[in-house]
Amino acid sequence: MSKGTEVDIALGILDHQLVDADGRNCGKVDDLEIAGLASGSPEVVEIVVGGNAWKTRGRLGRLAAKLSGNAVHVPWTEVDSVSSVVQLKRPAAELRLNRGDERWAGLIRRLPGS
Amino acid sequence: MSMKNVLAVALGIMSAIGGFVDIGDLVFNTQAGATFGFQLLWVVVVGVVGIIVYSEMCGRVSAVSGRPVFDLVRERAGFGSALATLIASEIVNLMTCAAEVGGVAICFQLLSGLPYRLLIPLAVLLLVVTSWVLPFRWLERLFGYLGLGLLVFAVAAIKLNPDWHQVAHGFVPGSHSGGSLMVYLYFVVGLLGAAMTPYEVYFYSSGAVEDRWGIKDLRLNNVTSIIGYALGGFLSFALMIVAAVLFLPRGIDPAFLGTPALAAQHTLGQVGLLLALVGILFAVGGAAVETSFAGAYNLAQFFGWRWGKKERPADAPRFTLAWLAIFALALLVVMTGYDPIKLTEYSVIFSVVALPLTYLPILLVANDRTYMGEHANGKLANVLGCFYFAVIVAISIAAIPLLLLTNGGQG
Repeated sequence: MSKGTEVDIALGILDHQLVDADGRNCGKVDDLEIAGLASGSPEVVEIVVGGNAWKTRGRLGRLAAKLSGNAVHVPWTEVDSVSSVVQLKRPAAELRLNRGDERWAGLIRRLPGS
Repeated sequence: MSMKNVLAVALGIMSAIGGFVDIGDLVFNTQAGATFGFQLLWVVVVGVVGIIVYSEMCGRVSAVSGRPVFDLVRERAGFGSALATLIASEIVNLMTCAAEVGGVAICFQLLSGLPYRLLIPLAVLLLVVTSWVLPFRWLERLFGYLGLGLLVFAVAAIKLNPDWHQVAHGFVPGSHSGGSLMVYLYFVVGLLGAAMTPYEVYFYSSGAVEDRWGIKDLRLNNVTSIIGYALGGFLSFALMIVAAVLFLPRGIDPAFLGTPALAAQHTLGQVGLLLALVGILFAVGGAAVETSFAGAYNLAQFFGWRWGKKERPADAPRFTLAWLAIFALALLVVMTGYDPIKLTEYSVIFSVVALPLTYLPILLVANDRTYMGEHANGKLANVLGCFYFAVIVAISIAAIPLLLLTNGGQG
């Protein structure tokens, strides 16, 4: 999304569904990387997805973060639009947001009719 | 409305009626009737209106925004509270799924005479294969239509010709007789919990997304759900009335799932027994599928995975594994031999505790005009929504103390 778009971070972006260019769910906005807080003009630079992104999200989040892997960082420039979901410009695989599904898809593919 | 639409509405209503009753309703309605006669009928009305109010709201939110309930829980409650809600809801879903699976095995046992323990794995296998093979819409229909066998209880209730004057009295809340006040209140909480179980709204809203509801479906589907649930409520009345007429005077404690079926046999003979057992089998079987899917929907929606029967299993691998895992865990729980009826009581009471965290985000988002635009809650939906939220908070506080004080309704 272009620079300078104003969004309510707490209500409008955080914890929302991420959807890739093919319309597939690919995680949640688990945390946001914000720059320029000191200079007085803060802007969102990255969306942080999964794994240890949860470490900033309360006591249960810290515990959950310890049990999972590294977070994926998605630059804000990859965001196409924000509605009830956060729409991305590219397919999940190109943003490394398909790791979880790839890990388990092989197992399910062995079942008949999958 | 065209002929085709009339047919679609009729079919939808039929599957909603058949799908309304689950093991929680069966257990609490018959036990309430056997303990307090007709005196608790009014609670069923309160419960049925409650589930209609919140199903309508979350169905509307799903149709307008495409977001199912657990997306909303995560967005509005934030990570920590949503994770706590997720954990609580998964425990309740698993307990409920296990109780329903046990119920299916009991029905198989009553129909075949084979040993219960042997029939549990068979029940799980059949449920898993059915859920795997059938598309979403056909799952709803199969269990919904065959669950209509429960209508035999409505026929039995009428044929037993109860004192209708007394029945009418039961619809007015008031003082009670027979049994202690604590037990009476325990049944009030249990009946409300059984009617408004959280898995129903999880499943209902995700089902709306599975069925690809849009704004044009709003009216059609509202009619379906409201009438379907309201008529489903009549099955609850019927169960309570039958128990009140047959079990209360004889001092029969309906401690087995098969007890209500015997009431149908007593009134309508072998055909009655068979219809009742088929009805119970598909009602609890459908609920087993709904609870396992509700668990998988919640997990996937909390973490943002791909989900749904609308996807091929390999395209939504974590969702698929989740519902398979819930069935597997339910199998383990039931195989311990713990009484499914007791399990049902606990699952209903614990589900009441998890209700506020499920219903508040629905109420908030249904009022949010940035999401809902002109389809946001009107006055009626808000008055009812707030009233029921107060009711839910009250019963969620009272649930566990009442369970302990009454030793699970034993007095």
